[in-house]
Amino acid sequence: MQESAYFDQYSPINNVWDEMYGADNHVREHYRKVIDYISNESADDLNKKEELAKRLFMSQGITFTVYNSGEGIEKIFPFDIIPRIITASEWAFVEKGIKQRLTALNHFLKDIYHNQFIVKDGIVPIDIIYSCPHFLREMYQLQVPYDIYIHISGIDLIRDSDGTFYVLEDNLRTPSGVSYMLENREITKRLFPDLLPQCGVRSVTEYPTILYKNLLALSPRQIANPNIVLLSPGIYNSAYFEHTTLARLMGVELVEGRDLVVKDHKVYMKTTTGLQQVDVIYRRVDDEYLDPLVFNPSSMLGVAGIMGAYRKGNVAIVNAIGNGVADDKAVYVYVPEMIRYYLNEEPILKNVPTHQLGNREEREHVFKNMNNMVIKRTNGSGGYGMLMGHAASDEEISDYKKEILKDPRNFIAQPTISLSAAPCYMQGVLQPRRIDLRPYALCGPDGIEIVPGGLTRVALKEGSLVVNSSQGGGSKDTWVLA
Amino acid sequence: MNNSPFRGLGGNMLSRVAASLYWLSRYVERSDGMLRMLKINYASSQDTIQEFTWEPMVRIFADSREDETEELKNDSRAVLKYMITGKNNSNSVLNIITFARENARSVQEHITKDLWQCLNEYYHTVKDLKLDRALQREDPISVLDVLIKQVMLYYGTVEITMERGEGRSFMNIGKYLERAIQSVDILDTKFGSISDNPDLLTDTTYWKHLLLSLGGYELYLKTYREGFEAENVLEQVVLNNDFPRSVIYSVNHIQRYFERLKSNSNMEDFREMSFQIGRLQSRIKYSSVRSIRTDGLHTFLTQIRSELYGIGNALNEHYFANS
Repeated sequence: MQESAYFDQYSPINNVWDEMYGADNHVREHYRKVIDYISNESADDLNKKEELAKRLFMSQGITFTVYNSGEGIEKIFPFDIIPRIITASEWAFVEKGIKQRLTALNHFLKDIYHNQFIVKDGIVPIDIIYSCPHFLREMYQLQVPYDIYIHISGIDLIRDSDGTFYVLEDNLRTPSGVSYMLENREITKRLFPDLLPQCGVRSVTEYPTILYKNLLALSPRQIANPNIVLLSPGIYNSAYFEHTTLARLMGVELVEGRDLVVKDHKVYMKTTTGLQQVDVIYRRVDDEYLDPLVFNPSSMLGVAGIMGAYRKGNVAIVNAIGNGVADDKAVYVYVPEMIRYYLNEEPILKNVPTHQLGNREEREHVFKNMNNMVIKRTNGSGGYGMLMGHAASDEEISDYKKEILKDPRNFIAQPTISLSAAPCYMQGVLQPRRIDLRPYALCGPDGIEIVPGGLTRVALKEGSLVVNSSQGGGSKDTWVLA
Repeated sequence: MNNSPFRGLGGNMLSRVAASLYWLSRYVERSDGMLRMLKINYASSQDTIQEFTWEPMVRIFADSREDETEELKNDSRAVLKYMITGKNNSNSVLNIITFARENARSVQEHITKDLWQCLNEYYHTVKDLKLDRALQREDPISVLDVLIKQVMLYYGTVEITMERGEGRSFMNIGKYLERAIQSVDILDTKFGSISDNPDLLTDTTYWKHLLLSLGGYELYLKTYREGFEAENVLEQVVLNNDFPRSVIYSVNHIQRYFERLKSNSNMEDFREMSFQIGRLQSRIKYSSVRSIRTDGLHTFLTQIRSELYGIGNALNEHYFANS
């Protein structure tokens, strides 16, 4: 059957779940309206839309700066104009799974920084915890408001060749990218007039409202207008655009470490009339740099004494400090067990099978099958320092093995996972490219809320499985249908 | 996207934010002054039989070394490049708009999205390599007009979209302080050249260009019927309350916007600065062309300049540094 020129030229990748291309060689129902819409547009028109998207990102300053020979070059995060579409039932599943997982992870953090029942009951080995650089003794017995540690998370999901969702990693520290979820939607509204309402796409604009509501609820002082601030490392941070966007959308003050000062275990900001107490800090500065008195003493980004104020309960910090112990990749292995242990439920979302290289038998198994493995550092992120076995040379593999043997605890291996593919508009035709999904979940005193949508990252290079922006990845608008 | 339901912080402005808004505004104002000066100077360089010198212009607006100035002063294209897209000139339009944008970037949630986009566009326009090429090969006036239009867009956007709060007061103080300093510098340089070359005193095109570059030519024609006289030019640029680039007009506006900070200020800081600004305002207000001539123009301008710098320093101490 003739679907459309764009569809007919499309050739899906073998043994890969295609979000658009159904098993019967037809467009999946939920993609039909979009394919029909673009079929009425010439390649010229679509090229123009691509241009428009670039121009909008540029003129709005949605850019990051690459410093090259002392001169800043503005770049935009590549954006593919064809949306990624998720059906209502897929979303309901994902939503339920993430809520379950986060509930368990939050219990885990409370437990690990208090009684450590999960260790005493032999579910999680203690050496995995104590060897994790993000396990912070400073958090031990520290009471956080409402026992919430993970206020904001961005769990990365991927889909196997049969379409099953897997959790790739839990980002529980300062996950970024949510501004792209919001901005990509704004751009799509401009690119495809009327298409969003026609398709019944759920809105994502509630995100800042929910986040603000949650931050407000955390204020230690019971006053009418608590001071909420967003702490950013400053304009040279690659996510700075996101910090300003969120501060603007919530109407909260954007501060840098140098704007804050601690006096008598209270945090103040320096204003034109003097010091003003700060109640809630949504920080986008990593734990390590937060307080030079407690953590990295050379940090210029933090605030001296802030940890003391936090410990006294005079300021709420979001996300809680020390969350890194829960998204460590060696701890990741135990998350399904945590769900059973704390909730007495079967995990809804699956983990990718993972080998801990600290374990000798598993290491030997992995070393024999390096070509079929992806090896990652347990505390790495951004796609840095990982080895894709199927694409690596023998030399790279043997070098990497040496690295692993220096400290096996810091590495895990996973079988090469097949990411699902979605159509991307490239040089006048649709081509399949690999994608993942990062929904953003917000946890407040009223429970966990997930805005229907998220960030779909896409590996723009043909054949690539790495979606990270630092490694040639881009993004797509992510539609969740009502 | 940009209508936040939660505005109304009620609180006060961060010192860093106040400082960034003030500098952002000073930089844009400086670029405006420079571009207008460049445009008029370039036009007059095309309209002279003698060799045109850019020396005063370079002296006022750039911090170049003597030998650089010497090399540049008779080469219009080279001056334009140096002053507009010159990377090594810390005061080139490109560099100061980069600073302005960085300041804006760090206070994005205190300026409107429109204003941010407007500055962002100004920045991308100056940075565009096509502009640099056009400056070297095509008509420079068209290029300057494109940039001047960006500044006008900026001022329109501020006027239409910025909330009338503390932030805008700091922006306006920055803008008028910069403008007052510019007018003083221009007068000092232009009148200074007369002592080297007394013929200029009666050179009508010399005064005409000075007025044109300050945008005060038409007003001058309406105010003074007897042609171009140095004293009248001085009167207009220092003392005319209706001339938006006059020193008195700028200082009045510094005073006006500073007064608006009263309710958001520490009283002691406020009184001290209010006194300082009031004193400067009175010194200019109760001067006349005759009294200025008695004191000596250069002495008078030097005093005014140092008082203006003093205001900048006091702001830094009382409102921005805060530590």
